[in-house]
Amino acid sequence: MKSITKTLLLASALCSLAGIAPAHAQGKRIKVAMVPKLIGLSVFKANEKGAIAAAKKLNIQFLYTGPVTASAQGQVDIINSLIARRFNVITITSNNPTQPAPALERAMKQGIKVVSYDSDVAPDARDFFIQNTSYPAMGKAMVDSVEKYAGPDAKVAILSSTPDAAIQNAWLGAVKTYMTANFPKMTVVTTQYGESSPSKSLSAGLNILQAYPDVTAIIAPDGAAEVGAAAAVKKLGRTGKVFVTGASDPDSIRQYVKDGIIKASPLWDEVKEGELVMNVSRLAADDKLKANDTFTVAGLGTYTVKDKVIVFSKPLVFTAANIDQYHF
Amino acid sequence: MSTTTLDAAPRKRKPRREVREITLLVVTIAIVLGVGLIKPQFMRYDNLEFMVLSAVVLGLIAIGQTFVIMTSGIDLSVSAVMGLSAVVFGLASTTIHLPLAAALPLCLILGAVLGSFNGLLVAWVRIPPIIATLGTYSLFGGLTFIVSNGTQVDQVSNQFAAFGNANLIPGLPIPTPVLALAGVALFAWFVLNHMVFGRNILAVGNNAVAAYNAGIPVKRTLLFVYMIAGALASFGGLVFVAYTGSATATTGTGDHVELQSIAIALIGGTLISGGRGNLAGTVIGSIFLSVVITALVFLHVPAIWYSAGEGLMIVAAVTLGARRGGAG
Amino acid sequence: MNRFLPREAWDRTLAIILLVLLLAFCTLIPGFYAGFGGTLAITEQFLPFGFVAIGLAVVILTGGIDLSVGAIASLSAVIMAILTKSAGLDIWLASLIALIIGAGLGWLNGIVITRLRIEPLIATLATSFIYSSVATALAGASPPYGFGKPFAVLGSGTIEGILPVQLLMFIVIAVGFSILITRTGFGRRIIMVGYNRDAAHYAGVAVPDLLRKVYGISGFMAAFAGIVLASYYDAVRPDMGNILLLTAITMVVLGGVSIFGGEGGILGVALGVLILGVLRQGMLIAGFSDMVTTMLTGGILLVSIAAKNLLSDRGFGYGALLLRLINSRKQEAAPPNT
Repeated sequence: MKSITKTLLLASALCSLAGIAPAHAQGKRIKVAMVPKLIGLSVFKANEKGAIAAAKKLNIQFLYTGPVTASAQGQVDIINSLIARRFNVITITSNNPTQPAPALERAMKQGIKVVSYDSDVAPDARDFFIQNTSYPAMGKAMVDSVEKYAGPDAKVAILSSTPDAAIQNAWLGAVKTYMTANFPKMTVVTTQYGESSPSKSLSAGLNILQAYPDVTAIIAPDGAAEVGAAAAVKKLGRTGKVFVTGASDPDSIRQYVKDGIIKASPLWDEVKEGELVMNVSRLAADDKLKANDTFTVAGLGTYTVKDKVIVFSKPLVFTAANIDQYHF
Repeated sequence: MSTTTLDAAPRKRKPRREVREITLLVVTIAIVLGVGLIKPQFMRYDNLEFMVLSAVVLGLIAIGQTFVIMTSGIDLSVSAVMGLSAVVFGLASTTIHLPLAAALPLCLILGAVLGSFNGLLVAWVRIPPIIATLGTYSLFGGLTFIVSNGTQVDQVSNQFAAFGNANLIPGLPIPTPVLALAGVALFAWFVLNHMVFGRNILAVGNNAVAAYNAGIPVKRTLLFVYMIAGALASFGGLVFVAYTGSATATTGTGDHVELQSIAIALIGGTLISGGRGNLAGTVIGSIFLSVVITALVFLHVPAIWYSAGEGLMIVAAVTLGARRGGAG
Repeated sequence: MNRFLPREAWDRTLAIILLVLLLAFCTLIPGFYAGFGGTLAITEQFLPFGFVAIGLAVVILTGGIDLSVGAIASLSAVIMAILTKSAGLDIWLASLIALIIGAGLGWLNGIVITRLRIEPLIATLATSFIYSSVATALAGASPPYGFGKPFAVLGSGTIEGILPVQLLMFIVIAVGFSILITRTGFGRRIIMVGYNRDAAHYAGVAVPDLLRKVYGISGFMAAFAGIVLASYYDAVRPDMGNILLLTAITMVVLGGVSIFGGEGGILGVALGVLILGVLRQGMLIAGFSDMVTTMLTGGILLVSIAAKNLLSDRGFGYGALLLRLINSRKQEAAPPNT
């Protein structure tokens, strides 16, 4: 965390020395809210970390507020209160793409900019969407990890969050497309759901291993699911026989990466993503970003906006070699 | 309509000898044998052990719930107490390296304190139990968020993990949590059947006014009962975090442990109207639910139908058990 | 019970609390008062809880409980959406069918409770598992959304730009149910069953038949809430009703309905709905987090029921003693002949 801040400070110092200080930093003070799926999860907390750091530099009054359960209704209540409190920008990772849409459209009608990140909402209900990483790249990273460690004829079990989780379904769609195209012998034997609950994910993981003894890899594209699957492998002593991959923050999976249950697990830098969310919020509030555009953020890089969608980064694959560099 | 009217005639017959736990046991064994015939893997020792192990947390909490329901009360706050305890002791094990020997008594004390708050509200302020504990459900749940400060427990210390997974007695292939459940169940059975306190509980549940007139300390009995429920819920939380290694602020409440524990107590043959409890039924009931879920996975039932299967099996098990009047 | 605090007094207390709350929020919280219509529009965010609460109140008046309301709301909304999106039915017809199915699901609860003789709590918990499985299966990987402008009127339309349609429906339904409970034989039988089931049976009430109807009503109201939610969100989700249950129970109880049955009225429930809803939305607008709001809601539930006990002769006795003292003074002061 500290090192990131230092790097950023250094970067911005260099920028100002070179006389190319980002123009948007001088705008009037704005209020920006960040609404996670629920409070109390480390991944979203990591976004907040980055956002707070960026908000200071961008003259943003920042608020992190979310529901106590992962419910879209809770998010809508919060969006409505943010409208009444006249926030300038609402940023949100949505529990589902449809339910919060009318409330966000109401916000947009009142001149509030809406920036979605992580899990998108319906395109009409936001000004910009920051996609973590492109869906095909994420799918490829997970399947490649399976192929590398469990072989091209691996029997794969999928442990997702819920049947209608938008981002998980997008990734799993990419997984299946890439799998059939490149590794036709690889098969998906079952799909189970852990509802993003640690206990349900663990039981689902254990049940998969017990009921499908020939499974050699588990793809679990959800924070709780990947941890549950890895914990199940460890409990049943299948380390080295079943490999787990998925999408989870490094703190949660660190021990399993070191145990060799998870060899490679793609995600992205959540802290830096939080910084980007604030930078895009600033640009959106200042009307300095078009639906198709490019922009540069000091310390993060240059981004392309295509049809209001900004892809944050390539997948960042955590392995035993690099995981200790990341803490969130 | 005359037949249905007759059906509903209030029944004042002598309570029958309780057979619910025997029915449940028979149904559970029938499922194990039936599924075992199709999938021999289901009957292997490690799968049986795992099904019992995954029933421990709910079993512990349901025993406390059984005590409360016997007094014609109900405790909705157990899930929040469980989550609070899981987060507090999970974090304590990683951050301040709290030894297990200290965590065990502390967790019982924490649970007893929270539970006694319920007891005070019910016995002295005379708030109906369902409302008192619905209120404390929100309060304790919020406390969990405050304590966790938006983070989660990612992994517990080795000492904790060993407690949740390893065998206590070398050579005896029974994991520590299962022994803990057995110990708690035996102790609860002893208290209920061989101590004055146990008789007092049943007397209060049967008729609080009569119990009061007979000189039974009704308020103190209620206080102790809610303390027990709190302590066991807290212990369940500790076992949960030791077993799974992870916990979030929605642990317990997110899985509706409160409803599940009530369901288990009622499936086990405890009367919601109080005055009669069945501890053996509660323990078997928790294992029954775990067996049902695992069986559904083994039979390759699509994941979305698990909860329907669970619901149908609950109805079946309760209907097959001894029929009694007073329902509805 | 409640010898010194009749229902009218509790209703009056609730009404005063609601007024004070509204006044305080309008003056103290910037952004809460957004014109008359704007403030009324806040009710759209919580009235679906109210529809469920009114149906649930009828069940609780009989001494039962219905844990399946959330699942019925989700399932009915999903069925409505499937019927109109996949089967091409007119959306209003689809809604009507979904309402009937909701009532049917509630009636099924009643069957399970009365025929299989399972306690309402466990029966409706089991059926809620089944209903939500069906909802998840029907909704599929990308649940339907986008039902068009005319249908949105139900959830977010207004009369003359001021009175929200939801609020109008809520008032009509609350008044209707209030009349049903207090002025009809059916309502009196409901109270009688809740007050003393055995006595009701001996007085000739067909208890199982009545219970099936009552659970059918609860299912119907849950389905209605589900349809309104579908309209408000312009989308359906198989888990959209999950959050309804606990809040709805809180509203019913705050409204003065005894959880043991036989006591309480719909007017109180309607006030309970408005108080909890306004309180939550107001606190969120005031800048409290969802966590603090949820905790305070729990605290307020405890304090209000404790206060109610304090004023009746149920609780500590001090409050009751005080009231008794005042009452006896009044009697002494009154002329002896009256």
